[in-house]
Amino acid sequence: MSDLIHFEDIEVGQTHRFGGYEVTAAEIVAYARQFDPQPFHVDEEAARRSHFGGLIASGWHTGAMLMRMVCDSAIPGHATNGAIGFDDLKWLKPVRPGDVLSVENVVVEKIESRSRRDIGVVKIAGRVLSQTGEAVMSLTSLVLYRRRPGV
Amino acid sequence: MKYFEDVRVGESAVLGSSTISEAEILAFARKYDPQPFHTDPEAAKTSFFGGLIASGWHTCAIMMRISVEAMQREQAAGAGSPGIDSCRWLKPVRPGDTLTLKREILEAWPSRTKPIGFVRSRSVMVNQKGETVVAIVGVTMLRRRPETAA
Repeated sequence: MSDLIHFEDIEVGQTHRFGGYEVTAAEIVAYARQFDPQPFHVDEEAARRSHFGGLIASGWHTGAMLMRMVCDSAIPGHATNGAIGFDDLKWLKPVRPGDVLSVENVVVEKIESRSRRDIGVVKIAGRVLSQTGEAVMSLTSLVLYRRRPGV
Repeated sequence: MKYFEDVRVGESAVLGSSTISEAEILAFARKYDPQPFHTDPEAAKTSFFGGLIASGWHTCAIMMRISVEAMQREQAAGAGSPGIDSCRWLKPVRPGDTLTLKREILEAWPSRTKPIGFVRSRSVMVNQKGETVVAIVGVTMLRRRPETAA
């Protein structure tokens, strides 16, 4: 297991780009019907008449799509124990059908746990980008990394 | 209709409850958060969580569902949200848990440029044992009552 990237291996400033999530109208509507049934997320016609001018994804759906990209590309090979939460989440631009989302993560801080010697918190500034390179969402995630045994 | 002018700073309310099933936890996580402790009941038993737990993004989605239902009930003139100040997943959410959403209004201020107002609130979801599983401070926007908007 020593080939996994642990807390000690992470350096502030490290940048990681990944993703390529194709957003479809069907998925926007399916997510929103279950969790965020506001007209501009579930009803194409009503969305056209809204101030968004068309169907847009629930902001929480964009968060979920970010999580999927993180699971596919950022967690494998890393000794993570989940996340304790996030700060400063901003929904910057609407996410629409046909958008292709990617992620840019930058390590901004490492915090040693005061109560546990076996884990540390890594603060990661994440931006979800559209195919035009525009940020549609940003947040600072607080990810738990395991420390190398005996360090 | 509930407009920005009807929001009372300091007010607290219980907005609703929802019970989460194992099938829902698995379906959400297989699509959006495929880590073994969210997607595999057997593997989850030997994880540091000691059993299957919901994705934190699933817990937030359930909070949104309860919020939207409350907005629709009180016909709130919701205009979306610019973002979340902080979100902490404090305790695991497990199959069969019943989560109750409570919200306290912390602050409210009108937009200087648009006929909307901003409302900062603290939302917590509490499980059937009284434990807070998630705490969120966020901002939502409400339209202003037509006759008072500049």
